[in-house]
Amino acid sequence: MSSMATVGIAEMGVVKGEDQLITYALGSCIGVCIHDKNSKIAGMVHIMLPTAPTDGSGKSICRYADSGIPALIKKMESIGAVRRSFTAKIAGGAKMFNIPGDSVVGNIGDRNIEAVKKTLAELRIPIIGQDVGLDYARTMTFNANDGMVTIKAFTKGTSTW
Amino acid sequence: MGIKSYDDLDSMQLDALREIGNIGAGNAATALSATIGKPVNIDVPTVKILDINEAVEALGGAEKIVAGILVKLEEGIHGAMMSIQTLDVINLMLDSLLGTTVEGYEELDEMQISAVCEIANILMGSYINAISDMTEMAVNLSVPAISINMMGALITVPMATYCYEAEKIMMIEGKFSFDGIMHKHNLLLIPDVDSLTRVLTRLGVYNE
Repeated sequence: MSSMATVGIAEMGVVKGEDQLITYALGSCIGVCIHDKNSKIAGMVHIMLPTAPTDGSGKSICRYADSGIPALIKKMESIGAVRRSFTAKIAGGAKMFNIPGDSVVGNIGDRNIEAVKKTLAELRIPIIGQDVGLDYARTMTFNANDGMVTIKAFTKGTSTW
Repeated sequence: MGIKSYDDLDSMQLDALREIGNIGAGNAATALSATIGKPVNIDVPTVKILDINEAVEALGGAEKIVAGILVKLEEGIHGAMMSIQTLDVINLMLDSLLGTTVEGYEELDEMQISAVCEIANILMGSYINAISDMTEMAVNLSVPAISINMMGALITVPMATYCYEAEKIMMIEGKFSFDGIMHKHNLLLIPDVDSLTRVLTRLGVYNE
């Protein structure tokens, strides 16, 4: 029996074998999925922001790309995943609102995409699939067995890659 | 010690924030009634401080399709406010204002969308006026931006933008009735941490 584990906003999850992970309604947030095809271990983190505050006041490490992705990797390695076989797939980073004359609200998705890519590059994890940017929400499902991601988007249907 | 998050608020400070909600709801009833030309009754709103995943559940689940209308707050308070509207409430407003309704969000035309934005703007402006009066600070609202999509994807945007450290948001759940039917509207108020401290100081419930 396979099961589906839900990853909330600013949370992470790790599953193995036939199990799947799901995170709902990624807007400017990004779902980062990491897969080890040999051990069939899959990890997902739902990040909201690019970088953790430098004074250490951010309580939830999974809110931020630069602390959430390393934490996910550590958790995957602790149950036997091997970093050199890791591959990543990412989705989200949309621009949900367009306030005239404003760049702060509008850019959060772009800044998240940039931070996720930078963090993965530093950790030498290749991105083998992505569906980022644009202006709509995405629900992301991740299968530990084959590493396939399914995206369901409002008014855009579903895609698997 | 500055206020770092809603977790740091004591019961007196939370009561002060609830009072803003009460006065705001009264203002909103008056404004809404003037806009749609019918008497509107508003119940005492529920003010909740929730973390983001709790807020998503309280609003009906991440994938629920809603209209989110977002304004940026500037001057005395920096942050954002969002009005969450479901199709049944939108139809009610459209019916009163324009005499039309729609079957689904995708049918909304430009005029109807601007009517929805305007109503949301009036509601949010009512609450902001309450804060502004009580704190004697000027607060500016930006032009509203609307997005119709999955609720979870909408409410994370102001939170990501203004709650860099704070992990909770304030949700005002108002209940209003007209033509004998009760409706709910939800507002999210997301001040940045400095602004929250400033508001509490002005309300006399914050001491260094």
